[in-house]
Amino acid sequence: MNLGGFAGYILHINLTDKTVERTPLDLGLAENYIGGLGITLKLAYDTIQPGVDALGPDNTIVLGAGPLVGTDLPATSRVFAVTKLPSSGTIGWCGAGGFNFGCELKNAGYDHIIISGKAQNPVYLKIIDDDVQICDAHNLWGMGVAETCEAFWKDYERPLGVLSIGRAGENKVAFSMAFIDRISTLGRGGFGAVMGAKNLKAIMVKGKRGIDVADRKRYRALRKPFLENIRQYPYLKEWQSLGMLKSFPIVPVETYERIKKRRLACVSCPVGCKDIIEIPDGPFNGMVVHTSSALNLLTGLTYGFQDYRESIKLIATLDEYGMDMFEFFGLMGFAKTLHEQGIIQSDDIETEIRMDSLASMETWAGKIVAREGLGNVLANGFKGMLETFGEDSKKYAPSLVKGIHPYTGPGSALPWDLFGTMELGQVLDPRGPHVGSGGSPTYFAKRPLEVFPRHFKRMGIPASATERIITSSDDSDGEQTLNIGILLKYSHSWFSLLGSMGICARGQINRFYNAELCAQLYEAVTGIKTDLDELRLRVDRIWTLYRMANLREGFRRDIHEVLPEQWFGDNGFKEYVSGKPLQIDQAQKMIEDYYEEWGWDRKTGTPTGKILEKLGLSYS
Amino acid sequence: MGKYYITTVIENCSGCLRCQLGCSEANTRKFKPIAAHIHVEMNDGDCAISFTDDCIAYGICADNCFYGALTKTVKEKSS
Ligand code: SF4
Repeated sequence: MNLGGFAGYILHINLTDKTVERTPLDLGLAENYIGGLGITLKLAYDTIQPGVDALGPDNTIVLGAGPLVGTDLPATSRVFAVTKLPSSGTIGWCGAGGFNFGCELKNAGYDHIIISGKAQNPVYLKIIDDDVQICDAHNLWGMGVAETCEAFWKDYERPLGVLSIGRAGENKVAFSMAFIDRISTLGRGGFGAVMGAKNLKAIMVKGKRGIDVADRKRYRALRKPFLENIRQYPYLKEWQSLGMLKSFPIVPVETYERIKKRRLACVSCPVGCKDIIEIPDGPFNGMVVHTSSALNLLTGLTYGFQDYRESIKLIATLDEYGMDMFEFFGLMGFAKTLHEQGIIQSDDIETEIRMDSLASMETWAGKIVAREGLGNVLANGFKGMLETFGEDSKKYAPSLVKGIHPYTGPGSALPWDLFGTMELGQVLDPRGPHVGSGGSPTYFAKRPLEVFPRHFKRMGIPASATERIITSSDDSDGEQTLNIGILLKYSHSWFSLLGSMGICARGQINRFYNAELCAQLYEAVTGIKTDLDELRLRVDRIWTLYRMANLREGFRRDIHEVLPEQWFGDNGFKEYVSGKPLQIDQAQKMIEDYYEEWGWDRKTGTPTGKILEKLGLSYS
Repeated sequence: MGKYYITTVIENCSGCLRCQLGCSEANTRKFKPIAAHIHVEMNDGDCAISFTDDCIAYGICADNCFYGALTKTVKEKSS
């Protein structure tokens, strides 16, 4: 295939047979599934056998980077992984940016990697252009995420992409993650454990093939005003200076300025939300931490840590293990409650569980990663805890969706109480509770409805749907209200579009893109004839196939899309517009509206024959 | 040689490689960071920016930089 943007090949690795094969990327895949996330999902659908054990040798990992990755279009850094995830038991996507990985993968000549089988001993994949080897990784096994990355950076000249797991992944901890270039996470749901179960410690990639664009003149003509537009953004400097702390000022700016060593960005990103932090004083004086965001390092403060330096130390430890901090804290809180209730016996609690204590939390993280004592049960996540401690424990569990603790909402780390698309999306993205795919203007609390249509247009929402999203409420004074269910359909569409092209979907970036521009950029880069309607159709195909992959796994609304009861009542979510307590039947209706907007059965969420025919999809 | 002076302020560099991407494409018609005439190295927060002998100060690196790490100024013509 000779298209711009795409590298042109898929790399197939079988770890059991130790074979490496490359096949050309089929043009039809690009035409039907855009690239990146879309093709990754399609390849996963074709290669993951239904009912496979997520941690068994037959599970497949598919990686991919979209056609814009490797160009200098803003924030075209995205790398996706799709596999069957052990925590949720669903087929799910994980997505990350990174300094080099996506760009180098494309430069080495590959858009996707499909990894199957299981190595007998720890291995890593070495990909340097056509030289692809499955290498012995016993020297790396046991190392932390950053340590592994550094080991490769020491031996090879950069730019060099590194995807690695830490000890949590090695020991198949249910909430382990993989990291890209040590600062971006492929996480939630246990992606790290899938790699660990395959004895796959890391993937390093480097290439010199280069990425070209199909229509260079048009590319340049589109790029110029686009970059200029970003330069004119009035909050650009503030974003570049504060990163995620601009949205979530968890500590005063002065504190952040004291610990900030350097702000970092994923490849091609003009905003940058990554950080290098240096602890300036106290017992950890001089400690330097690379992080996906300073905000993450400070998350301990929301769980009761008093000293931000202790929070940094703990989260840096979790990152090095490759462990999801939200699930870690959620589980520790649950274990503490079970102990207080006498369900976990004191003999099992060798170290007192104190959510605000660095020593206690570090000890427990160590026990989990080593699967020692109660740590071995905690390592199996909420599912493991509930199985072990039985019926009595259930009523003390925090809100759970597909066995994972959502990270926004009542009782969660980010106690946002307005129910927008990101909040509902935690139930409706098949991968499990994650907010990454559910972005929309409801990201900001209490945004006036007048500004929504402008964003809807940008997200490519057809005008006819806008009328269904902003409506008059039926109950009271005819005031305008938002249909969060229908809007979420378009959040997922917008996310799929960005992810399939290779663009970061974070609010600070996607604000600069619009769907019309995406169609033009896609056409200029790839040479594939594309307009907005065609992109919409492809996006519907991608997300519907994603649903089908999970329905094929036995995914059901009444099991997998259950609204946690903790989300309702006096301390529950509030309706986004009115601020009134959200009722469960309102949320159920949102789910049904969401299904219907996709053309799926309103009650079950199963794609109807009509929509399958329109999208050219059928079950295999 | 070259129309511009390129000034570097390494404290501002975020390691985004937009400079290398833009430069390589201008020179080779391919986005290929290793083919750029400018190289950014980031080591534990310490940054070094260097230019190869082939650099003709075309200035695309500065055009592509959003962080104020690279700026260009027009060289005055010598009479
Ligand atoms: S906004 Fe953050 S995550 Fe997105 S590309 Fe930029 S640095 Fe990476």
